[in-house]
Amino acid sequence: MPLTDLGAALGIALTYFTIIYLTGLGGLFSERSGIVNIGLEGLMIIGTVTGSWGTFFFTSSPEAGGMGWGMPWGPIMGLAVGAGCGALLAGVHALATITFRVDHIVSGVVINLVAVGLARFLSQIFFGQATQSDPGQPHLSTLDLPLLSDLPLGLGRAFSNLSPVVLVALLMVVPTTFALYRTRWGLRLRSCGENPDATRSLGVRVAPLRYQGVLLSGTLAGLSGAFLSVEVQYNWREGQTLGLGFISLAALILSNWSPIRLMGAAALFGFAQAIPLRLADAPVINLLPPQFIRMTPFVVTIIAIAGFVGKVRPPAAAGKAYEGGGAT
Amino acid sequence: MSDTGDVIAARPSVGQRLENSIGPLLSLLVALAIALVAGGAIIIGYGESPAVVYGAILDFALTGDGPGYVLAIATPLIFSALAVAICFKAGMFNIGVEGQYLVAMVTATWAALNLGFLPGPAHVAVILLFAMIGGMIWAAVPGVLKVTTGAHEVVITIMMNGIAISFVNWAVNNPLKFTEAAAGTNVDLRSDRFPDTALIGDLGGLFGYRSAAKMSWLLILAIVVALIVWLLMKRLRLGYEARAVGSAPGSARAGGVSIGAVQIKLFLISGALAGFVGMQQLLADKGYLPGNYLAQLGFTGIAVAFLGQNNAIGIIFAAVLWGVLSRGESALQIRTDVPREFVIILQGILILAVVIVYQIAKRRLARRQLQRAGAEERALEAAAAVAAGTAATVSEPDNGTSDEANA
Repeated sequence: MPLTDLGAALGIALTYFTIIYLTGLGGLFSERSGIVNIGLEGLMIIGTVTGSWGTFFFTSSPEAGGMGWGMPWGPIMGLAVGAGCGALLAGVHALATITFRVDHIVSGVVINLVAVGLARFLSQIFFGQATQSDPGQPHLSTLDLPLLSDLPLGLGRAFSNLSPVVLVALLMVVPTTFALYRTRWGLRLRSCGENPDATRSLGVRVAPLRYQGVLLSGTLAGLSGAFLSVEVQYNWREGQTLGLGFISLAALILSNWSPIRLMGAAALFGFAQAIPLRLADAPVINLLPPQFIRMTPFVVTIIAIAGFVGKVRPPAAAGKAYEGGGAT
Repeated sequence: MSDTGDVIAARPSVGQRLENSIGPLLSLLVALAIALVAGGAIIIGYGESPAVVYGAILDFALTGDGPGYVLAIATPLIFSALAVAICFKAGMFNIGVEGQYLVAMVTATWAALNLGFLPGPAHVAVILLFAMIGGMIWAAVPGVLKVTTGAHEVVITIMMNGIAISFVNWAVNNPLKFTEAAAGTNVDLRSDRFPDTALIGDLGGLFGYRSAAKMSWLLILAIVVALIVWLLMKRLRLGYEARAVGSAPGSARAGGVSIGAVQIKLFLISGALAGFVGMQQLLADKGYLPGNYLAQLGFTGIAVAFLGQNNAIGIIFAAVLWGVLSRGESALQIRTDVPREFVIILQGILILAVVIVYQIAKRRLARRQLQRAGAEERALEAAAAVAAGTAATVSEPDNGTSDEANA
């Protein structure tokens, strides 16, 4: 097996890792605060379409109806718009689940349903067509990781021509872990997900923290979606998220809601995504249809949840409406 | 049956029953009003008149061949909403109808292509049976895992959906891939065409709708199945047990109900119902399994189940309402400047409004019933109010909604 293929596969795996990790982290913040968020896929979808629009809008010249900020601010603003719009839609989930105490699963399903239609609607407004934007949209200049990109035997390909967002995702574990485990805010957020009554008995209001958790999930999932359309595929296409929101959810569960372990799960599932694309002809793998490889994240997660390989344990209060205290 | 009946509640009075059924209907109307007003604002943004746009949607749905199209759209949604609702009655959430119907399309396609030696009606019956079995197999996994390992059905069904998509993709690329296309012709990925014995006849023709509307006898099956589900839920033992498990699992267990058995049974029935979802597409519309099949019907079914508030009869009307709106996409495209995607937004606002309004209404109703209850409950509620009152003064002095939280 030529190692160049492996290098290319690793590169693709890094891209998918970024998508899965960012979205999974979003889910982590939400669920750690006690709000189950199965709307990640929908939040990503909104990120893809609005991120694409933001990139066009901020890059193109004022004559073309844009802001004319050029490079690299156009794509950066595109990513920011995607993240912001993800947060906006997540705000609906927060309003429904926290303020109106709608069942978290019900609201998440609705978010996913609404997002598909909303994306088409927005696309029609933004691009004049419902299912895609024009290809070849501007993106951030890529970079090579020093040392790693010089690896021999074609392995260096994995670490060349990377989007800067990939680096951001790789480094994200540090601030996330710090915020969750080393700050007062993180302790309070996690306590909302484990025992909101205890949180409240200490005079900390649960609802605002949960709002923050859910809005963060929308920001990260939106950023992840925008990364996909702005930095990976250079245009928006309907259905381009390909269920990656659900794969992120699977990675989150497999990681036992830990930001560090989530890196491992996202890397594993990211690599599983890359295999059919670059390693389909490799020995052993060529015996399996590519569709079976695409199933692996879901199969692995089912096995993990069913408790066949150690038990995964979600935050104790996740998914339960909190009745104590007011809605605000 | 009576012992499990006691578990749930005493038979409600006529007045209470009226309140129980009018409440949901009222909240549905409120939600519809909210959606129409919000949609109206968007329409005005496009410089059109809401009356004209809504009129065009209704006109397209109700006149000419419109009802045929509407009912063809509604048919699979009735099945998928029923599949969702039957699990919901027992407090379980079958997000997996999507995956279940995809797998059922594969098993049904196999039966359609390989069992053509059966005479006409028998062939269709066997195909439907295979569809039910396919859906049941896929639904059995979350059901059994929930009961045996405690794995949450929502997560398992989401994963099963992911597997199902790849499974259908594999099936239509390998064992079920067409063989009949002559060399050199470019055919979209699909299965072979089914023999005529596998197809379900047109029903719309009886009402004068053109056959292109694809309204089929499956609609009758959908209505019959809805009535059966209604009967099952309201009049049969399993229905009582399901509601007992859903509303008070502890009491249900004390009343001698085997919770696990009920949950698995309901998941299997749900899967069987999900099996029918793809049949309109396979047997009435296309006559083969297309590679780019119509997806999302399982998720849309969840929306329709909410709209119908998990009532089998309500679901029929909700599916028709959804069909009217979906059919409206063509109306917008032909008659107005509003893009057809507006309909999806309208449906989205509607469903959001329904879940929120229904939740608020449910709390109001629960609170009122609590107030009406006997002195014992009143004392309890007073104690709760005192507790919440002190808590509210500690952390949230001015909170207008805290009384609602205590309902």
